[in-house]
Amino acid sequence: MWGRDVAGLRLTFHLAGINNQNFLMRDEQTGSYWQQISGKAVSGPLRGSQLPFVHSDELNFGTWQAEEPQGTVLQDAAAYRFGYARKDWDVRMQRAPTVIDFREHGLKARDLMLGIRAFGASRAFLYDQVIREKLVEDRVGAEPVLLVVGGDGQSVRAFRDRIPGVQGVPEFYRASGNQMGALLMDAATGSEWNFQGCAISGKIKGFCLEPVEVLKDYWFDWRNFNPATTVYGRK
Amino acid sequence: MTNEAQRTQRISVAVLLTCLALSLICVVYPFYVIRPFRAQGARELPIALVVLRFRTAATLISGAAALAALVLYWRTQPGKWRRVFVTAGAAFVCVLAALARVNIYELMFHPDDRPSFAAASQTKLDKDEKVIAIKNGAVARAYPIRNISYHHVINDVLDKVGIVATY
Repeated sequence: MWGRDVAGLRLTFHLAGINNQNFLMRDEQTGSYWQQISGKAVSGPLRGSQLPFVHSDELNFGTWQAEEPQGTVLQDAAAYRFGYARKDWDVRMQRAPTVIDFREHGLKARDLMLGIRAFGASRAFLYDQVIREKLVEDRVGAEPVLLVVGGDGQSVRAFRDRIPGVQGVPEFYRASGNQMGALLMDAATGSEWNFQGCAISGKIKGFCLEPVEVLKDYWFDWRNFNPATTVYGRK
Repeated sequence: MTNEAQRTQRISVAVLLTCLALSLICVVYPFYVIRPFRAQGARELPIALVVLRFRTAATLISGAAALAALVLYWRTQPGKWRRVFVTAGAAFVCVLAALARVNIYELMFHPDDRPSFAAASQTKLDKDEKVIAIKNGAVARAYPIRNISYHHVINDVLDKVGIVATY
């Protein structure tokens, strides 16, 4: 998700090409081409410019609705409804061919990954592994991060693993129950934390961990645009 | 036929062939490089994008030059079939100039430029449907993936901030 207010212009984008199965967008205002995954202009008058980053989460609708009951949902455009995908679109796409492949870390081209590019590094996590482990404590670059699976067992968020006033890296545990939305507990403060990364009890109640953007992507695409990526649990 | 007329014909044909070759490259090369289910090389893609950027102007100039060459040729060449052949060539350059204004991807994929939204409570989505969720201040929005994976690009405004949702 990107901002589209750049260089004093509000850009309007069209899908206008493809770069190894990651699409290119063209903006109407300058004719520049932008890479979808990086938000960077790769050709045209704005070449080298970067779209402003906008944080987003990929969630199950039920989870999002419970968090944001006043939120609004994009409606189908009647003219195109016939072409919309089924809800298991990403799973069905796992059978589609790819034009590039990176046979590294024992991963297949269409393995679904959770990619994090932050703190001067990039790291990928096999989606199925994160779902199994439910809570992953790891580092991206030198920075500790948490990956947390939501109560629906499918949605994942990541956070910077830092709590003010707590020395070192706080240790989190998966909460046994799900009362009041508590998913985690931390050893340092004894607080309970919900899926939004906010303490809902304890002495730092109300404090929220810093969210870290996670991109759900196929391995071949993530690796192609993040050649220096490391992979969680793999050498 | 005078030497001057022969020279004019040769120049006209040379200009026409050059315009034809240039226009063909402008239309075919980006299409060849940037096509689905083909790996795009690190060198060829930037070249194809530069061609895309300048091809509208290049093919329009080619079209104008081809028409000028055609007029010169008609003035000096009385042969019917040669005239027809050269006219067809100039017409083809003009067709290529028109084709250069078309991006096949933009015909195939339709961005949703006027997205409409409804309250979550009034939306009939299964609980396990995937959405891309964003929040800016008190404004929260969800983009169902089965919808956005068709449009791929949603040009939207959230609390006065222009955003583009992609998938």
